[in-house]
Amino acid sequence: MTRGHLTRNLMRLAFLCIVASFVLAPMLATVLGGFKTNAEIRTNALGLPALWDTQFYGAIMSDPAFWRYLGNSLVISIGSVVLTLIVGAAAAYVFAQITFFGSRMLFSYVLLGLMFPFATAILPLFIKVRDIGLLDTYWAVILPQTAFSLSLAILLFRTFFAQLPKELFEAAYIDGCGYVRFFWRFTLPLSAPILATVGTFVFVQSWNNFLLPLVVLNSRDVFTWPLGMMQFRGEYVTQWNLTLAFVTLTILPAIVFFLAAQKYIVAGLTGGAVKG
Amino acid sequence: MAEVRLESISKSFGGLTVLPDLDLTVPEGSFTVLVGPSGCGKSTLLRIISGLEMPTAGTVRIGGQDVTFDEPSKRGISMVFQSYALYPHMTVAQNIDFGLRLAKVPAAERQTRVAEAARILALTDYLDRKPSQLSGGQRQRVAIGRSIVRQPKVFLFDEPLSNLDAALRTQMRVELAQLHQSLDATMIYVTHDQVEAMTLADQIVVMNAGRIEQVGAPMDLYDRPQTAFVAGFIGSPKMNLLPGTAIGRDDVATMGIRPEHIAVSDDTGYWPATAQVVETLGADTVVHAHVAGTGDVTVRLPGDRRLRAGETLFLTPERRHLHLFDADGHRMQDPA
Repeated sequence: MTRGHLTRNLMRLAFLCIVASFVLAPMLATVLGGFKTNAEIRTNALGLPALWDTQFYGAIMSDPAFWRYLGNSLVISIGSVVLTLIVGAAAAYVFAQITFFGSRMLFSYVLLGLMFPFATAILPLFIKVRDIGLLDTYWAVILPQTAFSLSLAILLFRTFFAQLPKELFEAAYIDGCGYVRFFWRFTLPLSAPILATVGTFVFVQSWNNFLLPLVVLNSRDVFTWPLGMMQFRGEYVTQWNLTLAFVTLTILPAIVFFLAAQKYIVAGLTGGAVKG
Repeated sequence: MAEVRLESISKSFGGLTVLPDLDLTVPEGSFTVLVGPSGCGKSTLLRIISGLEMPTAGTVRIGGQDVTFDEPSKRGISMVFQSYALYPHMTVAQNIDFGLRLAKVPAAERQTRVAEAARILALTDYLDRKPSQLSGGQRQRVAIGRSIVRQPKVFLFDEPLSNLDAALRTQMRVELAQLHQSLDATMIYVTHDQVEAMTLADQIVVMNAGRIEQVGAPMDLYDRPQTAFVAGFIGSPKMNLLPGTAIGRDDVATMGIRPEHIAVSDDTGYWPATAQVVETLGADTVVHAHVAGTGDVTVRLPGDRRLRAGETLFLTPERRHLHLFDADGHRMQDPA
């Protein structure tokens, strides 16, 4: 390796470390903050704790409310993911497979949703949800979240489905397989990478969503974790160490979900379908 | 096993007419090959027979029954695609089995039929593999297996060998011919390769620009092409097509003579020519020569005849093998 090469690599490494530190430093501070007392956080926010005190983590884990918030978040997120995947994939399948009058216009209309910011819709959403009588239910969060993730999901799904070889459908059609059965038996199993990608995206978005649950959920029984976190914020004092420990523990499921889906995101499953 | 009959079939995509008006009968049990240059409508015709495409007008009959509006699965046909179109997430056994499962065939019978198909196609050891773990030839056999288990009345093949390398293609060609003999089924086969057509077919349908140029047995087409197009398409190397004046006939628009029907001499002959390119193939030597004032002529000679580019030869077309065509490209009466 030449000298210039080495310097260039070192510089590249340094740059990547700096970028990574932007992501990792706050995460690390959060994890470590859960071991510190409030006073220590104020004086030593980023360093290692003087004393590894596990009582704050312990306190949160032994609090039944924490598990309830986590459960609520999990139900809502999984509900949003499942609903988005089923509805989005089915819609995208139609757009990719069937040419019908107005399909392009309808598709463009669906894509308009991409440009619609969530926050501007929050008031009408609240009114609608209230009128339907869904306030303080899981559906109050699941349905709007699904609706707002659909544009992106349909866009991604359609592109992927359109790449599935046409002969695959024709061969199955000759074998006696109709559109609906093909969707369940072929399109979905062969689309694991895109399902994982969209699923992860929707899950993480739902998991971290704060605004919508704040507006449509009032009862502590259905609070999601971002709302539950607010209990450590008093009028005069914020218990930062508990908040940070809480965040650390609640972020874990999202990371686990991502790691589980990661291998499908990179996998190419259509290998061997055509030619070779 | 059934006869396929197409009556006044036409097909347009938007404003583009691919098949103007076409009648064709594929006899029961025959191996019929549709052949023609790309874009001639042969694949569209096959797709109309399969039911993947609806004809704009006309009737499709299989075994005497009008199936024009029937679903593909109800027509008693099966189809092998150029790209194989294997189901990538299913094993070989599941691939072969799929159509039977949809048709609700009892499990025991399914198993027997899959085992039988696997035996015929030498796939028994691969039944548990996924398509991605198979070679090109094996994939093609799975695709064929998928169609034979359904015991269709008519087999359809859409350029099934195009993706294979030359050696494998020859081997699969033999296997297909054997399969046809053993199953005794009606087969319709689309290809642009006239060698495949000549070797496999007992009836060849030559198509050009959506029309049928000629239907007949391979040697009929070879010996008596009805149009200049068929004359040029069937046979390898290609027939020489020259203006009628080359043999002193002003009433003939085009005359054709096959490369193997030209006598070559070193000192005397009808056309003095210069050898330009000499291809030694072993059994044959193919000479591309130029005849001054007439054009390029291809000649096929026995392999032991040695020639060099630039040499002068004298060519004499064998009179009884001349093919004469009028200005519309139709065959004129035989010269002999």
